Amino acid sequence: MSKPVLIIGGGPAGLSAAHALAAAGRKSILVEKEDRLGGAPILSGYAKLVPSHEWAKDAIGAMVTRVYPNPNVDVRLNTSVQKFDGTPGNFVATLKDGTQIEAETAIMATGFTHFDSINKPEWGFGTYPDVVTTTQVEQMISSGKGVRCPSDGRVPDRVAILLCVGSRDRQIGREWCSKICCTVSANIAMEIREELPNTNVYIYYMDIRTFGLYEGEFYWESQEKYKVKYIKARIAEVTSDGKRLLVKGEDTLIKRPVSIPFDMVVHAVGMDPNVDNMTLSSVFDVKLNRWGYIDRANTYTTLAQTSRPGVYVCGSASGPETIDDSIAQGHAAAMAAMTFQNAKVTEAAE
Amino acid sequence: MPIHEKSLIRPENLVEHEHLVIEGVDVSGHWSTFIEGRSITDYNEAMQEEIAALPGGENIHRCWQCGSCTNACTVNAVNPEFNPRYWIYLIRLGMEEELLRDKDIIWQCVSCNKCTYACPRDVVPEAVMKATAHWLELKGHTPKSNSTIFDEGFASQVIKTGKIEDGLVLRDYFKATGQSLTQPWLVAMVTGLIKRFPVTYLMKLGIATVFPDKTRKWSKSRAAITEYVEECEAANRKALGLDAKGTH
Repeated sequence: MSKPVLIIGGGPAGLSAAHALAAAGRKSILVEKEDRLGGAPILSGYAKLVPSHEWAKDAIGAMVTRVYPNPNVDVRLNTSVQKFDGTPGNFVATLKDGTQIEAETAIMATGFTHFDSINKPEWGFGTYPDVVTTTQVEQMISSGKGVRCPSDGRVPDRVAILLCVGSRDRQIGREWCSKICCTVSANIAMEIREELPNTNVYIYYMDIRTFGLYEGEFYWESQEKYKVKYIKARIAEVTSDGKRLLVKGEDTLIKRPVSIPFDMVVHAVGMDPNVDNMTLSSVFDVKLNRWGYIDRANTYTTLAQTSRPGVYVCGSASGPETIDDSIAQGHAAAMAAMTFQNAKVTEAAE
Repeated sequence: MPIHEKSLIRPENLVEHEHLVIEGVDVSGHWSTFIEGRSITDYNEAMQEEIAALPGGENIHRCWQCGSCTNACTVNAVNPEFNPRYWIYLIRLGMEEELLRDKDIIWQCVSCNKCTYACPRDVVPEAVMKATAHWLELKGHTPKSNSTIFDEGFASQVIKTGKIEDGLVLRDYFKATGQSLTQPWLVAMVTGLIKRFPVTYLMKLGIATVFPDKTRKWSKSRAAITEYVEECEAANRKALGLDAKGTH
């Protein structure tokens, strides 16, 4: 009987990989460093997900319950892999408590880290309490408390959502599009308008990237049904006039500077590489790409392959990714792991 | 020091104090020339709602500023100041002051509807231009345009009698717009008609001019149309926060 597959990370990608392996009758060991499964959607308290509008705790919760408990999945919470030795087919992973696990292959579903808005101090996060992140707004909605200004709990009259916070910004070394924030922001804007019909929501953007079918359901719907306004301007600065926040920038369509009062400013934060990626890279001996995500050896023929044979990657560990694509990649990684013995080891394309 | 490039600044943004002393220093006259900031300091959400409430303005919030309307526009081709895309933006942001700068050209839309066919979002810019011109009139920013005066005279005759009498439409229109009835083109046309038309037809025309024809049993229709028109006008005025009745 073959050894189990080691899966690192219990978010959508890892849960999907574990389920795919279990469904095929293969054993896996799922290592999660937090005290519960679910990954970012659960740990960060997301509200309704794109594109299904299901609550995260329902949608991801269902993914959790099908692998935990499951006789084919051995879940280890509150731990992480400290050492990873051996050769493909005969890996040995050492966990934090010294436990050794033998594994045939490994799947890294180690995810991402939300961009920390402190790194863009000109946009007021950390200075003004009413400057918040999309994650915080998700929590306001999912907790049932509603969208309120943190400073005094009032209902905001006017909300600005700033896109590309921690994305597409060479100044801070974030040369990627985080892919999901446009759609998530449109979704949040609609949820704010739904809860607070008298609150006007403005989205400040450089480009709108609600790709594919999200165009109609999120971008158009937010404008046509919910009257959300989109302003083409990258905001220069968020300050305060002592009462309200002042959002300053150039409205590029009228070539005029704007300095508009708002009650709440929301940063649509991007997806950074996982802060643990340097450690993961050295423990698992896998290469990171130039942006700091786990590198893929090949784009087309071996979808989930890292630079180390027998070690696969899926989900946002290898770059900004949507939940549904992370799930698909989890399946792809499971498939790669299951067919490992038949597969020829492909050299990493440099 | 005088500001040399005043031509680059809108004249109303140049402020000069005739008598001004700052910390004991006399800076009267050009010494105290200030330039007002050109920053936009607020949005007015009511404006889009007002225009959206008028017939034709319903889809204005769909606009994503692609510029297809302006690119397709017949009038823009001859007057670059005529820019529907820009006005839609100003309305959506509530920049009334900026819109009013163009109040004397907005009504020049010729309703060719090329914008309507070009627009990927079905904003119907032609209808938005109509609603905007209507809004400007209702708010009292622009006088009634000649075409509105013509339409009103035309419609009031139809409502009154169920028919129009061409001569009366023209006479009313020229009177309301302060134009002479003896327009050369009109004189030429009438003379031509008299020369060429059979005598019996001319007599019929003459009688119709003195005793305008009426549609029989029109009073019920008139009452219904009048009620409907009043309802619409009252709704428009209410959307703009104006009295239900009254002139602009």
